[in-house]
Amino acid sequence: MNVEILQRPDCAIARVTLNAGEKLMAEAGSMIAMSGYINASTTLRKGKGGGILGGLKRMLAGESLFLSDFRSPTAGGEVFLAPKLLGDILSYPVSDTGLVVQATSYLASESGVDIDLGWQGFKSLFSGENIFWLDISGRGTVLLSSFGAIYQVPVDGEYIVDTGHIVAFEKSLTFNVTKSGSSWIGSLLGMGGEGLVCRFKGQGRVFCQTHNPNAFGQLVGSQLPVKSQ
Amino acid sequence: MKHEIRYKPSFAAIFVTLNPGESITAEAGAMISSDAQISMATHFSGGFLSALLKKFFGGESLFVNTFTNATEQAKQLVFSQPAIGDIACIELRGNSICFQPGAYIAHTPGVRMGVRWAGVASWLAGEGLFKLKLSGNGLVFFGAYGGITEKRITSEFVVDSGHLVAYEPGIKMSVGMAGGVFGSVTSGEGFVNRLSGEGVIYLQSRSMDGLVRFLGPKFR
Repeated sequence: MNVEILQRPDCAIARVTLNAGEKLMAEAGSMIAMSGYINASTTLRKGKGGGILGGLKRMLAGESLFLSDFRSPTAGGEVFLAPKLLGDILSYPVSDTGLVVQATSYLASESGVDIDLGWQGFKSLFSGENIFWLDISGRGTVLLSSFGAIYQVPVDGEYIVDTGHIVAFEKSLTFNVTKSGSSWIGSLLGMGGEGLVCRFKGQGRVFCQTHNPNAFGQLVGSQLPVKSQ
Repeated sequence: MKHEIRYKPSFAAIFVTLNPGESITAEAGAMISSDAQISMATHFSGGFLSALLKKFFGGESLFVNTFTNATEQAKQLVFSQPAIGDIACIELRGNSICFQPGAYIAHTPGVRMGVRWAGVASWLAGEGLFKLKLSGNGLVFFGAYGGITEKRITSEFVVDSGHLVAYEPGIKMSVGMAGGVFGSVTSGEGFVNRLSGEGVIYLQSRSMDGLVRFLGPKFR
């Protein structure tokens, strides 16, 4: 599988070229174009993180219940993928370390990559942002999308990221959701506006997005007229 | 302090490196990531009263956060804004700059934050009764929806409402029609800001109002 990311960083689109028999899983609705001979099907993924239960878990995570499944019978089949919002795409090679992905940032993955709903989700229940994380393991390429540009931070020690700006982080890092300022009261009342943040510890990389889709949604949404019933 | 604005112009974000002992103050919610050793303190922006005025009449938030590097090494932090668009940095040397609601992002020590009576004209144009005014010596960062265009004006200048981001305090504002009542309605220009005086103004290439007006009727 060969991945090329075009139109970076504002309106990124991924061109995936498949070898004969190779399979690509993608977030339902993310396919923009593909070679006519590619077999596309919709699946509830089997195995770990798959089946009905896995699908329901993905739905809870703000993801679609279904994954699209693309298989090329011959070498050179192309699939173009893109997220809904403006922003960048990151291609990440999954290794033994594993990766935790903020649920709405998942775009696509190679068939050797396993997707599961991470238990870390419960730790971030209080953050008021995306509650669910996807636990990515196995081997192969995973494609992630962001709202805004993606920058990576090599963490060695401790690093803080606003919960709405996390795209993914390597599992060699531990994290806890915490107050950002000096007083709990201030954080809980949202006085500082920073609310709660993720405090990462250890060694590994964190991928952050420069903009928060929910903050932008609120900015625009709060000015829109009330939907008529 | 070192700073770099990356991912211009669509997704601009400010990457700041604070040397030991240095600090920077930012709008509540502007910090997106930072080294863990940087300490943060929340306080009213420019005192309690002016913070209240800003919140209710100027469209800014009640609080600002001051980030201080109390360690022995240089530390990094990153700021951005809710809107997608560009961010600009200006250096104040004893002068002042006024911001439209929502434009302010951060400033360095030496810069004072205050509110300024913007006038009924500004309020009628939907721009708020009070304006955020920063003055002193230091750097000020502000953001826009879309790109930022700098323009020095020396006489009367007309700006469509919703496109002015920042201006020097010597500039006066009055609401007007783009070209008579009939012309304004038919040309779709609506209300405009008539600026007069001398100084620098900053324009944003898109307006949030425009986006809302486009999306609104499509909501059913």
